[in-house]
Amino acid sequence: MKAEEIQHITSFREHFGTWLALIILTVMTVTISVFGADLLSLTVVTALAIATTKAIVVGYYFMHLKYESRIYLLMVGVVMLLFIVFLVLTIFDYVFR
Amino acid sequence: MEQYVLPNSGHSSNPEASKLGMWLFLFTELLLFGGLFLVYMVYRALNPEAFLIASYELNITMGTINTVVLLTSSLTIAMSISALQKGKKGLALYLMLATIAFSLIFMVIKFFEWNAKIHHGLFPGMEHYQSLPHGESLFFFLYFFMTGLHALHVIIGAIFIGIVVVKVGTDEVTGDQGTLLENSGLYWHLVDIIWIYLFPLFYLIH
Repeated sequence: MKAEEIQHITSFREHFGTWLALIILTVMTVTISVFGADLLSLTVVTALAIATTKAIVVGYYFMHLKYESRIYLLMVGVVMLLFIVFLVLTIFDYVFR
Repeated sequence: MEQYVLPNSGHSSNPEASKLGMWLFLFTELLLFGGLFLVYMVYRALNPEAFLIASYELNITMGTINTVVLLTSSLTIAMSISALQKGKKGLALYLMLATIAFSLIFMVIKFFEWNAKIHHGLFPGMEHYQSLPHGESLFFFLYFFMTGLHALHVIIGAIFIGIVVVKVGTDEVTGDQGTLLENSGLYWHLVDIIWIYLFPLFYLIH
């Protein structure tokens, strides 16, 4: 086996922990939406914040970004930045039209 | 065993290059769905009440079950990669087949959801859909288009994993040469991430 092929093997325990975190976040977002109407309404911002947390957990642990070389994190960051630029430009277009 | 790869055969023997290529492809997928999310955002901002009323038509229970099903399928495909790297080929195969089984459960639930909506005449082009207020018809158009495109990705992902199951069975994909399995896992997680956003945006915002 070549040196560059040495790979990190994620333990089943870590996978289960990741899964549990994702399920808890799902329960949270559904609970806020269904039962918490008078406590705290699930605004777009709350929903997107929880969804983004879940997406980061999936990317970091399940998609192995935690153990990949930093170049992958950098690329993901650039793509996210690109999307945010599209988002902000679209918002400006509609708000100041 | 030595492996020879012809220069122009289109097959890369470099696992890092394959993984990088897969990530680049995933970025194009992210921007495809990202564009659709922008469309959703703009129409929602222009028709807030209509989107709210229309979102009550969706079944939160089915949506939640499907979310749990997809998250669990992400767990099984991630575990299958670890299992194969640990040399547990049998376990890895079972976990991959479990992932495909979860994708089928997801599609069956999706079928019943769509069926109920179509029964109510909410599919674009149907008589009831035509009579809806403009904002509500936009919501259902986006609902069918985005969940439909996502469902197509679920089917493609399940076929991809099915191909890897065969290749693991014939030892073409092993713990040391597991890039294809890892790439199918990456694709599957992306499908999961897209659903993570679709679920609250269509089902939950009341």
